[in-house]
Amino acid sequence: MRVQEGKIAITFACVLLGIMLVTQYKAAQSVLPVTSQRADELISKVRDLEADNKSLKKQISELGGDKDTQLQELRYDAGVLPVEGPGIIVTLDDSTQPKMQGTNPNLYIIHDEDLLRIVNELRAAGAEALSINGQRLIGTSEIRCVGPNININGKILSPPFEIKAIGDMHSLSGALNLRGGVKESLKYWGIELQIRKLEMIVVPAYEGAFRHEYARISKKEADNS
Amino acid sequence: MIYPIIGMAMGICIGIIMPDLSVSPDMAKLLATALLACLDSVFGGIRATLNKNFNNRMFLVGFFSNAFMAAIFVFVGLRLGIDLYFVVLITFGMRIFQNMARIRRKLLVYKPEK
Repeated sequence: MRVQEGKIAITFACVLLGIMLVTQYKAAQSVLPVTSQRADELISKVRDLEADNKSLKKQISELGGDKDTQLQELRYDAGVLPVEGPGIIVTLDDSTQPKMQGTNPNLYIIHDEDLLRIVNELRAAGAEALSINGQRLIGTSEIRCVGPNININGKILSPPFEIKAIGDMHSLSGALNLRGGVKESLKYWGIELQIRKLEMIVVPAYEGAFRHEYARISKKEADNS
Repeated sequence: MIYPIIGMAMGICIGIIMPDLSVSPDMAKLLATALLACLDSVFGGIRATLNKNFNNRMFLVGFFSNAFMAAIFVFVGLRLGIDLYFVVLITFGMRIFQNMARIRRKLLVYKPEK
């Protein structure tokens, strides 16, 4: 069988093929297996189950359990109790980096968006209690720029900011350290995040007032309009 | 017939000895489909030599253009959010099997004549 024609070309192609094969093999080995993606699904499943667990516990106490525990739990959920637990403390200050010529100096200071992003990431990573410079963040807490300072719970705060978050230390710090995430994008402007993981953090209680001016308790079912 | 195998073996050795080319995870899909396209053109080339149809230029151009087109398909698919990746896989997979069938037919017909 004569295969003179194209011997060289095919051999050359096969050499390339072999190289590509090995490169692809190495690449496939180094990429994390799909189980890490499944881990995210599992994590959210666990969270859902934990939430179900908690509401079931509430139902138990409502059906004639200890009334005091129910009150305590409600106060805990409302954020009017100081809480302690493991978590992280994030410290950040305005940039001390020399400003690049011609850029807006506003870009080098901390804005409400930065704090909001950090808080959002921490919440998404499962933070159960958050405070900034001693102000506990509850559902109605605002984080708003007021001139050079930031308004939280109606109190005016200035940098450096210390954000305390109670939750799983590794998820919380991991969420901030994501590639392309908050820490990296703030670092570009010289705003450094210091993240400390601690076994015991105390997050103070919310001490502000609750406004009931517009929202009343509704007897209607929540409809999806 | 030995030559493709020798070539492949050489390629694999070079690939192992070579320092690691870092391929980012996004590139991995592109490389995999380009690989499949190259495999298909090699099988096509082998079939062509058996059919005495082999055209050197056609083979080489086809080799690189197949790989390029496969990579383009996957890339566009990623950008558009459609899994064009699978289209490439199915197409080239099917062609590999077709070529292998033709090669097998040719080889088995020739053997008794020897």
